[in-house]
Amino acid sequence: MKPVRIHGIGVAGGFGTGRQAFEKALESGLPPPSLRVDLAALEAFQPARTLRRMDSFSRLALLGAHLALEDAGLEPKGQDGLGLIIASGHGATVTTAHALLDSMLAGDAFTSPIHFANSMHNACAANISLLMGATGPNLTVSQFDLSVPSALLTAHRWLREGRVERLLFGAVDEHSDLLEHLWRRQRGESQDPMRPLATRVESARPGEGAAFFLLSTKEETAPVYAAFESVTVGRGAPVIPSSPLRVLGADGRVELGKTYGAMAEGARIACFTPHYGSFPASPAFDMAAAALMLRRGHAFASPQGEANDTESTVLAADEALGTQGLSCLTWVPEGFGVVDLAISA
Amino acid sequence: MRVAITGMGCLCAAGGTLPQCMATLFRGHRAPALPRRFSTSHSDPYPVFEVPDFEESPDLLRTSAMGLAAAREALKDAGLDEDALKGLRVGVCVGTTMGSTLNDESFCRAFRRGETPDLEPMARIRRSNPAEVIARTFGFRGPCQTIVNACSSGTDALGIGADWIEAGLCDVVIAGGADELGRVTYSGFISMKIADNTPCKPFDLNRKGLNLGEGAAMLVLQSETSRRGRARGYLEGYGSACDAYHQTAPHPEGLGLKRALRQALGSVPVEDVAFVNVHGTGTPDNDKVEGRVLSELMPAVPFLSTKGYTGHTLGAAGAIEAAFTVACLEEGRIPPSVGFDTPDPDVGICPVADITPIRSHRALSQSLAFGGNNAVVLLAKGERP
Repeated sequence: MKPVRIHGIGVAGGFGTGRQAFEKALESGLPPPSLRVDLAALEAFQPARTLRRMDSFSRLALLGAHLALEDAGLEPKGQDGLGLIIASGHGATVTTAHALLDSMLAGDAFTSPIHFANSMHNACAANISLLMGATGPNLTVSQFDLSVPSALLTAHRWLREGRVERLLFGAVDEHSDLLEHLWRRQRGESQDPMRPLATRVESARPGEGAAFFLLSTKEETAPVYAAFESVTVGRGAPVIPSSPLRVLGADGRVELGKTYGAMAEGARIACFTPHYGSFPASPAFDMAAAALMLRRGHAFASPQGEANDTESTVLAADEALGTQGLSCLTWVPEGFGVVDLAISA
Repeated sequence: MRVAITGMGCLCAAGGTLPQCMATLFRGHRAPALPRRFSTSHSDPYPVFEVPDFEESPDLLRTSAMGLAAAREALKDAGLDEDALKGLRVGVCVGTTMGSTLNDESFCRAFRRGETPDLEPMARIRRSNPAEVIARTFGFRGPCQTIVNACSSGTDALGIGADWIEAGLCDVVIAGGADELGRVTYSGFISMKIADNTPCKPFDLNRKGLNLGEGAAMLVLQSETSRRGRARGYLEGYGSACDAYHQTAPHPEGLGLKRALRQALGSVPVEDVAFVNVHGTGTPDNDKVEGRVLSELMPAVPFLSTKGYTGHTLGAAGAIEAAFTVACLEEGRIPPSVGFDTPDPDVGICPVADITPIRSHRALSQSLAFGGNNAVVLLAKGERP
């Protein structure tokens, strides 16, 4: 069976836009002051008239998709047979609110067909496939905090079984007034730095962003970041991976701290969530950071890593990884995801 | 691919269980009506197919409650009780249109007014991810996936669930679709000018659009090593492809649909297909494209749309229609494509207008969706009498 490899990474988050900006942030170890995304870079990829009817959620996803294809050295059009899988916990929250308000404020007959169409969960997948000519299978998955590992399971399967040879996998979630309102009421307001490895205190901050990957079983000209060993998802007690090197999806939510502590026990760990914040698509950023670490063979520093209260060792900046693979771990009470990545031969 | 279907459950406007639905279909009965569950300020209301007499729990969204009801029926049909499921790796894969959407009207209205509304409606949405609800209720520990691929979601969920069995990830997968009908969806489809203000007429010359519906269907998919009883059917193929042509209109030549059909059929010859349960929404574009593709690829194969009995149940449609397809294979006949009367020369092919006996043991069920998605499953009759 051919290995599934990562050939392109396209990320946009509070740290900036693009793989290089992300690497720079990871190398600095300094989280950004704001966790919001600037979409201005999209104008380099698409003319304004194309973007006119596209909402902020689709634009965010499209930016990630363009960046991943560019990073993989592929044209952003005519991608016949390219598969597309999108993971999103909340979908287009801004436009969904607009679609609701249309009928609430003006009456049912004044519902905007554009707002309604863009509020569909798979609207961003539709826009990407349309612009890029991606005629392969097209899927959007929404499983709240487990959207990324759940969707990745299908991406991995489609590539392994040969349903597609190339697949664009993306995770995207946007912040909104509604989400901000909910966040403040449930978690309060804090500008303190996230300390995700201090598992007994609440330090989460809401983020947003898009993380896309060009995955392939073909021999591509673009360099390989890492290869997938396996993707495991399930409910109940998390499967503790055999790999002694683990990237934790801990994001400062105190109710998750104890289990992340157990998953870290005895391992060498890293955690990068302060660079992008807490939101359902964030496990894809964990995976991007992990793939970048594997390619360079050395660790990035975990922001606020000194606040680690788990029984584990936090990787230091530029420390040699010393292994061929690592595991990215996501856990919430509803279930878990384990993505095993390896250095590609 | 050959994955056993050992149980099925379904509820929609045609009935509260799968046997009730099939009886309705073969009676040729349908009862679209103006919405009863929500009010609308449209001056010219459109008929819909609501599920009557279904009381959802206040803890769950109606979508998830209907999905759960269909899952209970399917598990019972499969003979899988708590004891039988013990030790098995069970996954859940469910299609819907708005799996996790934070769209509670009362909450958003109060939020808009600057109030501090009770958080319970949002907590209810968080509790109601359709796949998670089924997994949580039955204590399943396998993979859990809610697919939000618009109107092909249910078909995609079946194909992906079957793949989990094929790959050895699960012994059992509960796969299907669920969707409730609400005011925003209703107004949204009307705003896109693809709804009919009379009972829908799939493939008819005078068709004007779709009627919306709601419902759920779940199929129990099982590995050969885990199943004890005889199968009701088999899922033998899954195809999926995107038109990449237009956000809301299908490709005029049905390029994505053709590709998905070929994938689903694999090496099975068209002559082995007894019938096709098509998407057949009743919109001018959809039916024209499906008709053209069928007349090109399988002109002699009978086909029908069951949306005249159920309305378009969106994310549930593919699963409901797959359940109907397997049940028709068991019965050895298909019901008339209700609503069809006058052939459309532009479509070039006509659905069955009467109860029609079928001649082989395989059939296709296909879905076309917003965004240009096309998904097809190849289904076969099982051994259960």
